[in-house]
Amino acid sequence: MRPSAWLPLAAVSALAVCGGAIRPRYGGTLRVEMRAAPAALDANTPEASPLAALVFEPLLRLDETGTPQPCLAVSWQHEGTGKRWQFNLRPGVKLHDGTQMTPGDVASALQAALPGLAATANGEAVIIRAERGLSSLLLDLAHTRLVSTGPFRVSAFEPGRRVTLAANQDYWDGRPFLDGIDVQLGRPLRDQLVDLELGKTDFAEIAPADLRRASEHGRAVWSSSPVNLLALQFTPGRAEDPRLREALALAIDRAAMHNVLLQKQGEATAALLPQWLSGYAFAFPAAQDLGRARALAGSLPPAARTLTLTYDPAVRAARSLAERVAVNARDAGLAVQVSSQAAQADVRLVEVRIRSLDAARAMVEVAAALALEAPPFVATTAALYEAEHQLLEGRRVIPLFHLPDLYGAGSRVRVFAPPAVTRLGYWRFDQVWLAVKPSGTAP
Amino acid sequence: MTFRTRLLLIFSLTVVIAVVFVGAIVSTTTRRAFERLDEQRVAALTAQFRQEFLRRQREIARQVKDIAQADTTRDMVIGLTRPDAGASAYYEAAQPVATAHNLDFLELVSGNGSIVSSAQWPARFDYHEDWVTRRQDWDTQEPFLKREELPSDTALALVAVRMAQVADSKLYVIGGQALDREFLSTFVLPAGMRALLYREPQSVIDASGPVPQTAALAPLINEIRQRRTDLTRTVNWSGDAAGAETFHGIPLIGPDNELMGAFLVGSSRREQVGLERFLRRVEILVAAGGILLAVLVTFWTTARITRPVEALAAGARAVAGGDWHAQVDVRSGDEIGALAAAFNQMTGELLEQRDRLVQAERVAAWRELARRLAHELKNPLFPLQITVENLQRARATHPEQFDEVFRESTATLLAELGILRGIIGRFSDFAKMPPPRLETVDLNGLVRDSLKLFEAQMQAAGVELGLELAPDLRAIQADPSQLGRAVQNLVLNAIDAMPSGGRLTVRTIAKESGVRLEVADTGQGLTQEECDRLFTPYYTTKTHGTGLGLAIVQSVVSDHGGKIAVRSEPGKGATFTIDLH
Repeated sequence: MRPSAWLPLAAVSALAVCGGAIRPRYGGTLRVEMRAAPAALDANTPEASPLAALVFEPLLRLDETGTPQPCLAVSWQHEGTGKRWQFNLRPGVKLHDGTQMTPGDVASALQAALPGLAATANGEAVIIRAERGLSSLLLDLAHTRLVSTGPFRVSAFEPGRRVTLAANQDYWDGRPFLDGIDVQLGRPLRDQLVDLELGKTDFAEIAPADLRRASEHGRAVWSSSPVNLLALQFTPGRAEDPRLREALALAIDRAAMHNVLLQKQGEATAALLPQWLSGYAFAFPAAQDLGRARALAGSLPPAARTLTLTYDPAVRAARSLAERVAVNARDAGLAVQVSSQAAQADVRLVEVRIRSLDAARAMVEVAAALALEAPPFVATTAALYEAEHQLLEGRRVIPLFHLPDLYGAGSRVRVFAPPAVTRLGYWRFDQVWLAVKPSGTAP
Repeated sequence: MTFRTRLLLIFSLTVVIAVVFVGAIVSTTTRRAFERLDEQRVAALTAQFRQEFLRRQREIARQVKDIAQADTTRDMVIGLTRPDAGASAYYEAAQPVATAHNLDFLELVSGNGSIVSSAQWPARFDYHEDWVTRRQDWDTQEPFLKREELPSDTALALVAVRMAQVADSKLYVIGGQALDREFLSTFVLPAGMRALLYREPQSVIDASGPVPQTAALAPLINEIRQRRTDLTRTVNWSGDAAGAETFHGIPLIGPDNELMGAFLVGSSRREQVGLERFLRRVEILVAAGGILLAVLVTFWTTARITRPVEALAAGARAVAGGDWHAQVDVRSGDEIGALAAAFNQMTGELLEQRDRLVQAERVAAWRELARRLAHELKNPLFPLQITVENLQRARATHPEQFDEVFRESTATLLAELGILRGIIGRFSDFAKMPPPRLETVDLNGLVRDSLKLFEAQMQAAGVELGLELAPDLRAIQADPSQLGRAVQNLVLNAIDAMPSGGRLTVRTIAKESGVRLEVADTGQGLTQEECDRLFTPYYTTKTHGTGLGLAIVQSVVSDHGGKIAVRSEPGKGATFTIDLH
């Protein structure tokens, strides 16, 4: 038995000694439901990223602190300039088709995923060269899944409807506890909650408002870090008067929304990056200032005090948040009409996902997603704050909340080595096992 | 206007007046019947509205009370006493409860007036409804009308407030139903009626949704707003009377006596106006039919009535035209028949009278002829008698002078016998006037030739001739000998009429239908009676004359197909006119 497989087995044995209640067991199929309905299971398709993380693996991973940890590469070193890196691959890793993973496979995948690099195989290692300095190479590699060597392999895929994963018996880190995972795609949140309550699924996404229901009857709620930015984004060419945008920004009572609509999940914010990632989000004032908002709205001509606000119904709590924004705006003297259909809306409630544990990289990605001017790639926190401050100065974007991914797990779902959901929201189902329910027990 | 036309007009007018009168009565009766029916239907609908309103009040009060007394609500009241409790725990509580209790609106408000959960506007959590905390006797209050703010508009609601209380902790339950399309759809509306709901400030709906173009309702609504009482008014939506509606408005008053809206029962006048129009069309058709019938009846009736009258008129015209034998064939036994019989009797008597007159005239003529003949013959006979007696006396007393006397006497006898022969000849000529031999004659030339014969005579009598001959006179067909004789007779007559001299005017005139000859004198003139008898044979105004001259002139003119006339006044001369074709 490979040394990597010893660890879970040893842990299981130890737990078995400690008590049957937490003793992991092999077997069973985890039933999962998700809203996304990817048409393809590519390694780096954002929509399929939770599933892709179960199937494809990168050269290295970032731990909870953002420090690179070995994955397919067991070690790495670079020359002084940082323009040549050598990654020594983990030996004995098999692809899902049963063949051995070779440095050539990895180099080819790297070349395809990161076209700006030159990757070549060199013995049991992969050499990466670049003209510019590769200071962020490790971050890039940590976010780039390369080859199908993950703990689960795809056994069936109906695009947009269902994915069936089977345990990878040859997984280099040991066989997962689960025999397989059955994933239903394109399930609305409300249906997922009902299925979770009825025991028809073991793992479901939940909305903040459903947190209380999801956690009843022994069910667990797992969450990522607040990685989803909810913000109001003004449509280019509309609401050009900055007083209007500022009046709306100051009218919003984020605290009430956070307490009630989001059930205190995530954090109210006026910054693009969450506090846990940037460390300075608190410096952006998010409190309501109704007096100032009224004064600004009052200075506008009556015809300019109206806005249309649209939202994506797929975004969690979007409708109630948008309606509450309209109520707050009304208090300030602005008439905000909420609709999910307005194609030519003045402002949209959007959700942007943070996909990097590196703040600077995350800032660039968020700015791009919100159609803001690309910020410089800066290294220091002060420079990052300054860059973000400049991005938000015109109030073309009004950040509202950073929300975590929330999941409800059925009462039979156990985790051997938490967390089952990473800070960025990736699933780690190789550590999940299913307890055997006593006969007659409710789900 | 003929008698028949007059009868026709009278009949037609009678029919039209009768139809209009009957139509007016029917229209008035129909209108009143419709109005009564409308009043009944409106009363039924308003009663239905009040009943439904009352029912809903009771139902809402019951439902809200049930919610306030439910265990889950009491749990909520207890839960709200926890330090961190509030809208976050019960934010979505109202919606399912409202659905379960069939309420459109439900707000759960904490003791401090803060909204814990709102079914109709979930986003308004934590906002304050301070009005609800100002009184504590909600449990005894009847449901009332309230203007309910919604995200996109304002609704009119019938709401009840009840309190759930556990120890010192309170929860106000504000529940209600909207007075909206669904509310209006509960009414059973007869055909032609509709129920509208006006909601302040300016929204009007019916069971199918907003009613467009309600400006015409504004006066009624303003009046309701001012008077706060039931009102009935007619609203004209367009210029067409059929589009008008009679509206009965019931004000909906809020708890602070403010107008919240009005329930409007509309009754279309289309059916009534349609029936009135139908009746009017029927009236017109009946009137037209009546007039047509009147024409036919009048024709038939007037034919029966006027036929004898027309026969009488025709008979009268025939009599006037000289047909003294005209008779009217009327056999009816009525007044017309009597009139016709009288007419026939009259014409018979006239005929007999004329015959008697003719007979008398004949006798008179014969007497005149006898008188003339006696007069004419007496003059020559007296010299004859004297001459013969002289002869006898001379033979007896002076036989020696007898031969001389005889010669003288025979000469005288022969002369007188010649006169007798002349007299007899003129009578004979008049009796034997020959038919004219027509040839083309220039009347102007004939006149000139005739006048030449009298130049010396006119000069001797001191008569001045005025000749006015038309230069463009066309030739005529005439017997020049007879016509010349007629002209000469007229000229001679005129000269005789002016023994002391005067002016003779002879004039020819071209006329469209022929020629005219006028002979005028400035003599003593004629009376009307003389004019009437002037052309009678043997009539003369002269001390000597046979009275045949003008009779011969008339005979000649008549034989030529012409006409002769005379116009004269005493002292102003006379003018003879001959028209020839």
